[in-house]
Amino acid sequence: MSEPPKERVKYIDTNLNLPYHYYAGDYKALYLRALKDKKILGSRCSKSGKVFVPPVIASPETLAPCDELVELPHRGIVTTFCVVNVPVYGREIEIPYVVASVALDGADVSLYSLIQECAAADVHMGIRVEAVWKPDGERQGDHTDIRYFRPTGEPDAPFESFIHRL
Amino acid sequence: MKRPVAVVGVGQTHHTSKRADVNVAEMVREAVDRALLDAGLEHDDIDAIVLGKAPDPLEGIMQPEQYLAGALGAHLKPIIRVHTAGSVGCTTALTAATHVASGLYGRILTIAFEKQSEGNAMWALSPNYAFTQPMVAGAGGFFAPYCRAYIARSGAPGHIGAVVAANARENAGRNEYAHLRDPMTVEEALNSMMLWEPIRFLETCPSSDGAIALVMANEDHARRGPRKPAWLKAGATFTEPMYVPGRDQVSPLAGRTCAKWVYDKAGIRDPWNEIQVAEIYVPFSWYEPMWLENLGFAPLNEGWKVVDRGDQKMGRHLPINPSGGVLNTNPIGASGMLRFGEAALQVMGRAGEHQVGGVKTALGHAYGGGAQYFSIGILAAEL
Amino acid sequence: MTKLRNVAVVGFAQAPIVAADEHHTGPEMLYPVVQAALESAGLERSDVDYQCAGSSDYVDGRAFSFSQVLEVMGAWPPVQDSHVEMDAIWAAHLVWVKMQAGESEVAIVCGFGKTSEGSPSHVLNLQLEPFYAAAIGLDPTSTAALQASAYMARSGADDRALAEIASKNRAAGAKNPDGQLREAATPEELMATPWAVKPLREGYLAPIGETATCMVLAVEGRAEKICDRPAWIHGVDHRIELQALGSRDLSRSESTTLAARNAFEMAGLASASAADVVELGSTNPAEELILRDALGLPASARAQGGPAINPSGSAQCANPLMNTGLLRLAEGFRQLSGRAGERGVPGAKRAVVHASAGHGLQQNIVWVLGTERRWS
Repeated sequence: MSEPPKERVKYIDTNLNLPYHYYAGDYKALYLRALKDKKILGSRCSKSGKVFVPPVIASPETLAPCDELVELPHRGIVTTFCVVNVPVYGREIEIPYVVASVALDGADVSLYSLIQECAAADVHMGIRVEAVWKPDGERQGDHTDIRYFRPTGEPDAPFESFIHRL
Repeated sequence: MKRPVAVVGVGQTHHTSKRADVNVAEMVREAVDRALLDAGLEHDDIDAIVLGKAPDPLEGIMQPEQYLAGALGAHLKPIIRVHTAGSVGCTTALTAATHVASGLYGRILTIAFEKQSEGNAMWALSPNYAFTQPMVAGAGGFFAPYCRAYIARSGAPGHIGAVVAANARENAGRNEYAHLRDPMTVEEALNSMMLWEPIRFLETCPSSDGAIALVMANEDHARRGPRKPAWLKAGATFTEPMYVPGRDQVSPLAGRTCAKWVYDKAGIRDPWNEIQVAEIYVPFSWYEPMWLENLGFAPLNEGWKVVDRGDQKMGRHLPINPSGGVLNTNPIGASGMLRFGEAALQVMGRAGEHQVGGVKTALGHAYGGGAQYFSIGILAAEL
Repeated sequence: MTKLRNVAVVGFAQAPIVAADEHHTGPEMLYPVVQAALESAGLERSDVDYQCAGSSDYVDGRAFSFSQVLEVMGAWPPVQDSHVEMDAIWAAHLVWVKMQAGESEVAIVCGFGKTSEGSPSHVLNLQLEPFYAAAIGLDPTSTAALQASAYMARSGADDRALAEIASKNRAAGAKNPDGQLREAATPEELMATPWAVKPLREGYLAPIGETATCMVLAVEGRAEKICDRPAWIHGVDHRIELQALGSRDLSRSESTTLAARNAFEMAGLASASAADVVELGSTNPAEELILRDALGLPASARAQGGPAINPSGSAQCANPLMNTGLLRLAEGFRQLSGRAGERGVPGAKRAVVHASAGHGLQQNIVWVLGTERRWS
């Protein structure tokens, strides 16, 4: 039998469990489907010509439609990054790990991604990286299809080329 | 302001990691009672209430102003709820000011709070939504890359973050309401664990429970109140989208635009020499030099030199965050109103042990989102 | 009453109200709506000096949900902006206050809420006091039923009285191309539907839908250049009550009565009966009867004369959370500006608009709109 509480109740613990069922939207679904096919799609602004990845339907800069999809290379530059030493609730990644802004060649905004296959201390601003994909048959059409980016060994990008496009 | 607006009462709770002795309503009521007492007013004197807080998932109560109507004394009064990410506390105070400036309301109670211990902020702020790029590591992991870019582009030496943190802690030691008050040296900060390189543990804000309430009033009420009012000379909020190509995340244009706007309205041409104290939103220590530049207190890439010279310390040219700031007290939704309220206390001359001498003009500032939401108020001792 | 600044609703656009838009995200739903609202007003984004959105993080299932829509509202170069965690009609109120303070001349208000992605009955339970009310699992239907019972006990209104109100709204809603539930139903048909939570039947309840909305407001001097027939704001007030269902008379809406009294005084309107159109934010017929009572309007669907009540079909025929209230204000604008199509009330000069938030009509806002400027 349970004992009567020795202390008065100070709080109750509860887990809020709310079901959500998110829609990708047809436009972003094209991007996600392409990831499954090992392709990275961006969208081009009909006014400025700038390329957004993941694709957006309209440019936040010009408000013009971005209705042209373009395929982007799988390589780019680490514009900036941090080394994470904190375990995050609900995520299983070995620490320390590197999270970076990766500016894909030909894109005007950056993606966030993990940088792996090198020591955290070897990652630096301007290092060239390429996408490492899940193997064929395992890609499901979501952001985890690109497992991470890894250094390519190409020469670093010059500082001025990326410091204003983090 | 179309009509003069003043802060006439300030009340805050003591801030700590876990207020297990009170529930949300009781904690909020504590700040409300103190603000009303400070202003010499009763609930009946209040015409409307403006409440702000950060995301509802932090406590698990949706639109908590509805549940809190009783604790706020809001029954049969107008109440609105503002939410503009981390900037919300300052924006909430400015929204209250707009209500007064409209001439429709004479006295407004405005309040901001967060009871972070009642939820999991790391979870609430970086959940893994399908289809969107994962935030990966909470607010620290999001902002650390921009601190790195600041260091790279300004050439700031690595110890600046620790100097900011130690100074903020020294200031918090003089603020009886601050959450973290134990003395801390620059060396301790430098030797603390690297959480999100380049951000160290002791260069990071805590999670706090706390609330602050202000009473804001029109000129007539302000002059009749028991205390010297703090006059709001100018206030504004400016915002920008996240994914603008080439957006400067280190010194966002929205922040620079907001600063220029309020300085113009307040007739300030040289903020470094015309403002005597600033309470700015620094959740990670590197943001202090970054915002010193963004706010026009230092030229581009030279904010760190202010810190290196020590000109931001108490007793020096422009004390920054004499309260100890967000680095030592962070009830998220309330943090912006604490900056605004502390700036008000400074011009009222009632900041206690952390009072700066001879304050005529003070600045309160907050930011939020992915450094997208900016909110600034300029408070003055004289109308 | 002191002289205030004349402010008008001068443009509005909405997405179709649907149970689920499976093809677009919330921001994607809003993008064409903002474009359409600006186009209808003949404005460039740079003509707008202030913007305010209304939405809920819990409805959308993500923290800082409102920050997503900055990407489509047009916030570059940076703009003066705010957001209320409320129905967007309160964002419109904030804009009106802002204009009274001389801080804005032309503004947009946006509402959005992706209700189909979550479970609104679970989500709205979280509005309640956490220890007792939320913990026992009350949802908006059950609190509405408690309120309906209280009203029926006090007034003697029976199931048929509710069915007649509901049927009247359904008939009106059938003619509203901007609505969601567009099938007329007789009182008998509705009375044959099962109890949702007694005394409310399934046929009496509003469908929860989703949409995106954008309203343009402007001050005198700008408004008449933007819109051929602006809907001028003559008066407005909003009030909240205690939340606890046991702490207030659920059979009445005291906050509506008070807000209406203040709004009518500001507007110089003798009573709601003196208006030509009344648009109510009630999501079931019992709420409508309580609001009619609070506003001094007839307590029966059969009453003749007086203002047209709910020509849109009211929130009972479409309840897209976070937009439901702003749609009421939009209906007032449409009625007074000759944009209401087939449901337009001929010669309408003044409209009373109401919207509500929270469980059991906890928080209420009342507006008076007119075809002429209020203050000269």
